[in-house]
This record gives sequence, C-alpha cells and structure tokens, in this order.
Amino acid sequence: MDPAMGMGLVALMGAAATVAGCSEDLESDIGSQSNPNSQVQLAAQVGYPHRIFNKAISGEPPSNAMYCAVGAGVAMVLMSESVMSASPLIAIAIGAFVAALLNGVFATTSYMGRSASQTRFNQYVYMDVLRNQILSLMGHAYITTFCIVLLSYVMWNQHLINHPFPFPVIALIWGLCVGAIGSSTGDVHYGAEREFQDFKFGAGLNAADSGNITRYAEAGIRSSLDNAWFCSKFGGPATGIAFGMVVFLDNWRSTAFAEVLNGWGAVLVGLAIVILLVIYNRQIETYARKKYGPYPEYAGDIEA
Amino acid sequence: MTEISVGLMLADHWISIIGIIIGGICIAVGVHFVPVGGAPAAMAQATGIGTGTVQLAAGSGLTGLLAAGYMYMVLSADGAYVGTSQIALICATGAVGAMIMISVTMLVGNWVYIYGVGVPPASAKRDYDPITGDSQAPYVAAGTVGQGLPTVCFVSGTIGGLLGGLGGSLVYCMLMWVNGDPAISSIFAIGVFLVNAVLPSYNIQGTIEGFHDPKFKRVPKAILACFIASLLCGIIAVTIPGIAALGGV
Amino acid sequence: MSAGGPGGEAVSAETANQVDIKGIGVGLVGIYIAGISGIPYLAFLAGIGAIFATKMGADAVRRVCSYGIGTGVPSIGMLALGMGIISAMFGLALGKMYNAVFIGPIVGLVLALVIGFVVGTLANKIIKLNIPVMERCLMEIAGAGVLALTGLSVMIAGSMDFVVISEKVITTGYIAPVFILGALGILHPFNASLGPDETQDRTLVHAYSCGAIAMVIGGLCSIAVIDSIAGMISIVVGLVIWYVTFMGFVKLVKRDAGAGYVGTGLLPPGAM
Repeated sequence: MDPAMGMGLVALMGAAATVAGCSEDLESDIGSQSNPNSQVQLAAQVGYPHRIFNKAISGEPPSNAMYCAVGAGVAMVLMSESVMSASPLIAIAIGAFVAALLNGVFATTSYMGRSASQTRFNQYVYMDVLRNQILSLMGHAYITTFCIVLLSYVMWNQHLINHPFPFPVIALIWGLCVGAIGSSTGDVHYGAEREFQDFKFGAGLNAADSGNITRYAEAGIRSSLDNAWFCSKFGGPATGIAFGMVVFLDNWRSTAFAEVLNGWGAVLVGLAIVILLVIYNRQIETYARKKYGPYPEYAGDIEA
Repeated sequence: MTEISVGLMLADHWISIIGIIIGGICIAVGVHFVPVGGAPAAMAQATGIGTGTVQLAAGSGLTGLLAAGYMYMVLSADGAYVGTSQIALICATGAVGAMIMISVTMLVGNWVYIYGVGVPPASAKRDYDPITGDSQAPYVAAGTVGQGLPTVCFVSGTIGGLLGGLGGSLVYCMLMWVNGDPAISSIFAIGVFLVNAVLPSYNIQGTIEGFHDPKFKRVPKAILACFIASLLCGIIAVTIPGIAALGGV
Repeated sequence: MSAGGPGGEAVSAETANQVDIKGIGVGLVGIYIAGISGIPYLAFLAGIGAIFATKMGADAVRRVCSYGIGTGVPSIGMLALGMGIISAMFGLALGKMYNAVFIGPIVGLVLALVIGFVVGTLANKIIKLNIPVMERCLMEIAGAGVLALTGLSVMIAGSMDFVVISEKVITTGYIAPVFILGALGILHPFNASLGPDETQDRTLVHAYSCGAIAMVIGGLCSIAVIDSIAGMISIVVGLVIWYVTFMGFVKLVKRDAGAGYVGTGLLPPGAM
C-alpha cells in the first residue's frame, strides 16, 4: 500500500477512536457504570437513596466488547454475499443500531434489577429516570459502536490494512480496550469529582464519606444527564484522547516503521514512545507536587 | 483425510505446550506489575488505575495481540517459515503494543487525577518513592490510601504491559504453529489470556500498587497456579488441529 | 465485591442440583437434536439448550459471588469462558478426528468440568481463596460456558462437524459475539440484580432472557451461514422467549420493589 494512504487510514482510525472513547465514557457516566457504580450502589445502603441511574453490565470492558462484537457480527452478516452484500457503511450503521438496542435492554434490566434489590433501603425504581436516560445511553452506545466497528473494518478489510483476525474478533478486542481505558481514565472524573462535588476540591474521597454521593443539583434533584454534562467538559474528551492515542500511536509505529531494521524499527520507536510518556508523567507529577503542596492535615514526621 | 490423533498431535507439538506455559506465566507475573486500585482508585481513594485487574490486563495484552497478529502475517507472507528469530520480533511487537496502551492509559489517568480531581499522585504503601526518592506520605489525602500514579507505579505498569503483551503474543505464535489459522489461534489466545489473568487477580485480591507493594511477594503462588492451568490449556489447545489438517479448505 | 447481603449460602428456591440437571439435560438434548438430525430448521433447538445452560451458569455465579470473591463479578465468568471455549472446540475437534462427531459436546463438557475442578482447587488450595463452593461453581460455570458456546455455534452452523463450525463460525468471526454474549448471559443476571433483596427466581428469569438475546443474535448470524428460513426460525423463537421472560422479569421487579415501583416522584419520605 502507498505510504500516504496508510498514514491517512491510521489518522482516520485515530479520529474514529477519539470519538468512540469520548462517547464511551459519557455513556458510562450517565449509567454510573463501572467503578463509580460502587458508590451509587452503596449510597442507598448508608441512607442516601437517590435518583441516579444505576447500571452495571458486567464491567465496562466486557459490555463494550459485547456491543462492538455484536455490531461487527451483524455488519458482517449484512455484508456477506449470501444475504444482501450491503455496502459497509450501511451495514456498520445497522450493526451499531442493533448493538444500541442491546445496550438499551441490558441497561433497563440492570437499572430495574439493582434498584429492586435495594428495596429494604428505601431505594425506589423510578420509571421516569429509566425513560429519561435510556435513549441517551443508547445514543452514546450507538456512536461508540459505530466508530469502533468502523475502525475495525478499516483494519480488517483486505484492500486497506488487511489484519488477519476475523472482523468481529478485532471489534471485540477494541471494545475491551476502550472499556478498559474508559473505566481507568474518564470514570475517575465522574467517580472522584462529580459524584462527590459537595466536598472540597483537591482530595480524593475520604473513606468516612463513602456512599454520601451528591444527590441534589443546583436546583432540585440531580439526574444522571447532569453528570454527562459535567463529564463532557473533561473526563469524556480525556478518554477520547487516550483511546485515540492508543489506536493512532500503535498503528502509526507499526505502519510507518515496519520496514526499518527488518521490523525492529517499529519496536524501537514504540519503546521510545513509552520512555517519553514516562518522562512526561514524571513532569506532571512534580508539577502537581509543587503546585498543590502537601496536605495540611498531615501529622507524620516525613519531610514533604 | 490424513491420519491424526491426539497422541500424534501431542508428540509433534510438545514445544508449543512449553511456549504456552511460558506465555501464561508471563501474563500471570505481568498482572502483578500492573498498578490497579480497583473501585476505590476511581474515587481517588487508593493508588493505582481505577479499574479491575483483569480488565486492564486484558485490554492491554489483547491490544498487543492485535499488533502481534499483524506482524505474524507480514512475516509469514508467501508461506515464509516463522522461526525463533521471527517469533522474537512478533513477541516484541506485541509487548510494545501493550506497553503503549497501558502507558497512555496511565498518563491520561494521571491527567484526570491532577487536573480534574486536583490531587498530587502519591502512594501510601511506601514513605518514599523507590525510584525518584520523593516523599509520599505528606501527599496522601486524609482518609485515603493514596491516589494517582506516582513514577514507581507508572514504571511498574509499563513492565506489566510488557509481560502481558509478550505472554499473549507468545501464546498466539505457539497456537499458530499448531493450527496455522489466525481465527482459531486468536480466539484461543484470548481464552488462555483470560484464564491466566483472572487467577493472579484472585491472588492479589483485586488490587496492587506494583512491584513495591508487599502483595507482590505472593507472585510464586500465582506462578504455580498458572503453570498448572496453562499446562492444561496448552495440552488441550495444541491437540486441536487446523481445519486444513482435517480435510477442510 | 460482596453481594451486599450477609455472606454465606445464598437463599434459593430451586436447588443447585435441579438447575444443573435441567441445564445439562436440556442443553445436551437440544444440541444433539439440532446437530445430528441434519435438518436446518431444527437448529434453533441448540439455542434453547444454550438458554438453559446459561441459566445454570447464572445460578452458579449467584452462589459463588454471594461469598465475595475479592474482585468484580465479571472476572469469574471470563475465567470460565476462557476455559470453556478451548474445551468446547477440543470436544468438537476430537469428534472429527475420530470420525465420531456425536462425542463432541459430551467430551467438551466433561473436559470443562475437569478443568473447572482443577482451577477451582488451584484457587482454593494454592491461592487460598477458601470459598467452599468454588470448585463446584467453577465446574458449573465452565460447563455452562461449554454448553452455551457449543449450543450457539451448532445453532449458527446447523452442524456438529468441527470443520463446518470452524469455517462458518470461527473463521468468519461469529464466534466473537457468541463468546461474549455467552459470557454476559452468565454474568449479567446476577450482576444486574446485585443487592440484599436479590431473589433467585428474578435472577433466573433474567438469565433466560439474556440467553434468548444470545439466541436472537446467533439466529441473525445463521442467516448468513445456513439459510434465511432457519435463521428466521431461531430469531423468532428467541424473540418470543425474550419477550415472555423480559415481561416476567419486569413483573418480578414490581413484586420485589413493592411500593417502591413508581412512575415518578421525589426521593422517598425521610430521605429528602
């Protein structure tokens, strides 16, 4: 393949991945999926019933892997010659739609199931909470699935990158990856900041305050859509950048440096990227230590 | 159809079983290096990445597997033989792919901790960072056991990604030697990977800070458990021939 | 993560043995009728077998997770499905190698039970998790994984022949949705009902509905593999099962939530 074309494809995949990462994180923030879910789950038990959407679909990576694998599977069926040889874009759009429907079903059952399992703590099952958030969840899941299935298609198609794994398996792996990234990066913004906005900025959650999530909004009772609004300012885009960077950097080094030193060039460039990231991380660490300083409550005898 | 039997497959492919065991142990040790704080880390209540061990290890290791699978195809194009030196390159590619994934995740995670939550990264397991020598305890917020990813966790995480990606790619290469079918090999490699990622995560009870964490001393138990589990998986997986050997196309 | 309730034995109306017998029995019968008859229109029976197997796995997840296994609920299912996919394919391949395709599902199941037992013992004895039901539950989850994966693969391919399954299900990649839907079918029912007021009948009805979703998607894939009529039969049967069980689930949610099932409203009295 022509190198310019290769770079174009890598850039396209990176762009699709950025969008997918962002919408994945917002989807999990609206539904309070993954680790921040533990606090939403705990809240009612420690006496704070709430109107936050509470869903857990077997952890963020498996659930996203499911949407993407199903989306790719359905797209593959539609594209196959024995069915209708649909054009890839339409097939991927329909596949993502089916995946979004599954997201809706799984989200509904987990909201209803989890809330009903906390009846003794006075946690209600609110039908309007379900109706208000479910379409937003499905919409975000659609965007995520569409972008990931699209980038998997680019990787798999034999005229483009021609990866040897089957199309749905590639989508499954990227789905797992985006879920792992989303739950490690963007969810922290929701779990550590938005869920506990009542508390002072600049510290993690004190264990003594576990479960005391912010249940009231600027006016009225907080709904999960407000959380997506907040997280879309930082957590979502950060997740997008992370996933976009993973897809772009990984493919860029293996496409652009594949011929250098019989393939070892790509490995060396990858290592160089990792070392740069370690150094950059050290820089922001020292920045934070200088800027914020030690906690005044600290009473031990170790010099800051 | 050619004559094939389980005994013959085992006799022919014993070396692949050894490879799968080594790969499995790499994955198991790699999981111990990945700094995961589980659910508390997502509330900036514990040091490490705020997600589950298995999920993160699988996310990074399988990203590496994608890179390794592509490299295998490039190297074996036109029926070229894939020998030890090629396998070294494939595994290195997979390992670096996994390292990139995990370092980017940790870096962006730290962005969120520093800029979004406003906390300096600090570990509560050590008073001083073993790599940079920075004091840690004064930077741990009240009522928490650390937050974010200080340098030692970051470095530990990249080593974890390296081992995970290496292990996953090695398992894939070994399976390709047996059946020559990327589809079967990839899905089996995912299976072997998951088994070897979950057992160690039980060993560390879901959270660990990295190689400086006292829990890291439990590694031998995980190695033993994963040795047995990978041996079983390996014996079974190498007796499944590719469809070409069974008379398919 | 602990189930939130008191540790120890989960309360159940349907005993583990009953669930297992139904799961293995219906699972194997479904797979065999679909695989041996050679009639594509009966392929959906393998999907029904997979639904019962899913339920068996979900019940085992429910029992083991009520102990609190140190890490999230999903990991145990990923462990079991990882073992399950290898055993399932080994069973089918062995049947092909010795020209006796009908031994495939049983060999796969037995092997999964053996590996489940070994890994459960490893977890308890070497890693020292010390969960009394670990061995048995891992055996059940791995067995359920094999039956669900075999069932759905047979349903998609309409055959138990390893070469056919390999070509039509694995090489095309339909194994990926099958794998992950099988896993989520086993994990999601308990995970979605986590909490002290979780009830067994609600979780198990939910397991049927998750299994039915897997069947619908499997049916969709089999349109491209067998033919459109066989695929449509699976889809329609799956959708009917899904609708009935989903409505049953909603009914049980209403029963368990009692007065807490509201259309809208502020926070409950006393919590404002």
